[in-house]
Amino acid sequence: MPKCENPLWPCAMTGATACLAGFEGITVVIHGSSGCYYYPTTLLHVPLHGTFILENEVIFGSEERLHEVIEELQGKGKRIAIVTSCVPAILGEDIRSMLDSNDIILVDSPGFSGNFEIGYHTALSILEPAIDSDAVGINIDGVSLFDPFHRGNVQEVVRLLTQACVPAGTVLCFDHIDKLKHCSPFTLGVDGDLASGLGNYLGNTLGFHAINETFNRIGQVIEDSNVESVINENSRQEERVIQVCDKFLRRFDPPSVVIFASFSIGAFVANLLDKYLDAEIVCIGSRTDQKYDLPYQVQRVDGLSDVKRLIDYYTPDLVVGSSFERSVKGGAAFVGITPPLRGTVRLASRPLAGIEGSLFLIEDVLNACMDRQSA
Amino acid sequence: MLSKPSPLNSCRFEGCTLTGALSVTTSIREGITVIHGPSGCAHHNFSLLHSTNLDHNRIAVPHIVSSGLLDSEIVFGGEEALERAIESAISQSPKSVFVLSTCITETIGDDVIAVCGKHWDVPVIPIPTAGFLGGSFQMGVNNALKTIAGLIGVYSNNGSVNIIGEKNLEYEVEENYTEIKRLLSLLDLQVNVRFIHNISTTDIEKIGRASLNILRDAELVSVGKQLFQQFGTPFIESFPTGFSGTITFLNQIAEIYGLQGQETITYEESLHESILDDFRDITGSSIAVDHSFMISPDYAFFHEVVKDLHIKIKPDGCLVPIPISPPIGTMGIKRMLHRWRRAIHAQM
Repeated sequence: MPKCENPLWPCAMTGATACLAGFEGITVVIHGSSGCYYYPTTLLHVPLHGTFILENEVIFGSEERLHEVIEELQGKGKRIAIVTSCVPAILGEDIRSMLDSNDIILVDSPGFSGNFEIGYHTALSILEPAIDSDAVGINIDGVSLFDPFHRGNVQEVVRLLTQACVPAGTVLCFDHIDKLKHCSPFTLGVDGDLASGLGNYLGNTLGFHAINETFNRIGQVIEDSNVESVINENSRQEERVIQVCDKFLRRFDPPSVVIFASFSIGAFVANLLDKYLDAEIVCIGSRTDQKYDLPYQVQRVDGLSDVKRLIDYYTPDLVVGSSFERSVKGGAAFVGITPPLRGTVRLASRPLAGIEGSLFLIEDVLNACMDRQSA
Repeated sequence: MLSKPSPLNSCRFEGCTLTGALSVTTSIREGITVIHGPSGCAHHNFSLLHSTNLDHNRIAVPHIVSSGLLDSEIVFGGEEALERAIESAISQSPKSVFVLSTCITETIGDDVIAVCGKHWDVPVIPIPTAGFLGGSFQMGVNNALKTIAGLIGVYSNNGSVNIIGEKNLEYEVEENYTEIKRLLSLLDLQVNVRFIHNISTTDIEKIGRASLNILRDAELVSVGKQLFQQFGTPFIESFPTGFSGTITFLNQIAEIYGLQGQETITYEESLHESILDDFRDITGSSIAVDHSFMISPDYAFFHEVVKDLHIKIKPDGCLVPIPISPPIGTMGIKRMLHRWRRAIHAQM
């Protein structure tokens, strides 16, 4: 990324850490300084370890320190994963040769190598997830500890699969490490930007239309599944959304909206608000690369100055994004869906995926728009 | 445990010089800070400062520009990227630009001082950082305060008090300041400048007018000494902790200003008694504490409160929260006792 004002998205080291730390049975060690350790620790809310290297280890080598930390963590029933940060990555040390055990996972994912998604995919590829043709159920992929909705998404998708009499397969990346070698041949997703490419992809779970299509496919390919109740519930809840949005439109104009999110999530939100609320999607400010064409303007947004420029230019009624966007939204209504969501207390496991995810999102959007009207 | 932060093995866990310096430079409203390094370093710190600002009810975001180094600059050098970042910062018409390097640019050997020394339309001020290679978080704070103070001329004295080196990332930073302001007001003294906490460039220039500098804690003594050499301003080493520490603090200030402080001391001591009376219901309670914290003289406040309220320390007592950073002044102790009472009542 070239020069950038107030960068909005984490680096590859954080992406790799988010992937690895999502698996039970892995102990993640960040090989770098305390500064590089603290950020993912506060962001991901899971226990992490660090080598916390000092200047003398940069000069004389970090092998002794790395061994010291590994010795402390070994023998506790978990595989150790080392993630390198910027300085160790350029010191020229052969870290793999320093590691006595091949069982230790090494992910070279320094911050300068790219953004969050690059690190996440690099770590996942090193873990080598494998399909087990005997494994039952459907994998859920695109799950990341970085996503404030990850627990809610998993709970909601598992609920829908259970309702369809289909067991959940491996959750990438929020499961036990042992299940990575026994992934199901089928996969569905909650975030296309983090799609693993593993197995036969049956579709995503973002929005009523996608849920309908995905569960129809499930009904065709999974024996003993019973998707009818999910499809019926999907239709009923969609009808409720139509009614409540229609009621809103009896009194209010549809909002003009700028959405700031990763591309896949931004596309989902745009489709939902366009279809049910007749919202004018003036722009999607995407944190990640555009993957396919959309009937909306999409701009890559890396820094807060880009966000301000789009908001100042379009003066939208509603801004959907992270707490970064909330801080520069001006008089617009705001709904938070993109990490980070700082400055608010969040305890419950809210989803963005599945039927409940769409209901929560529409709820938040309508309430935010009505609050703005009455303010 | 060697791989987790612990107060018993703190040398490795003192944080990043860059974050320390940023906590100061981003508190100057018309300034922009350039971070010379990968964008991840800037994002991490921006996100942290954004979160802290929201905790302090400040919507404004810190103004940071990253030189956004990629693999190619790591191999061939990043000085041109730094120049572009400085140009971008200046195009936004700041009153000053602070340039902070990171561990990676220190390792590849970029000459940050030379780039900052080129002719720019506004002051471009390099602050010695370099991530963990530059020292600790506190070193970053001190370097930033000293560098900025070094740019200021001398002004006539107005008898007021400067607050030096507040912990801008501390959750209770405003409450701690309010307590110091309250204590100063008991002696009819006013705050001149919060150096540096959410102030303008114009405010910084007033720092030489005060008659006393109060440092946030003893880690800032080198900053206090520099300010004494520069402006002749005496300093008190730390915000007060504990009831008796607060009385000592008031006595120190009264002595420096040549004031009769007995009436103020009597008032504050009666406030202490009143607070202890409010917490008589937890008198005699048993609490459990991590003794590794308690050996430090910084925790004298703890032993004092335990003694005043006849609280017993037992391994099976109620685990009460002990602030890692000692509570400031009388009101800090009061808030801590509320947290203890909540914990004790929750265990009943």
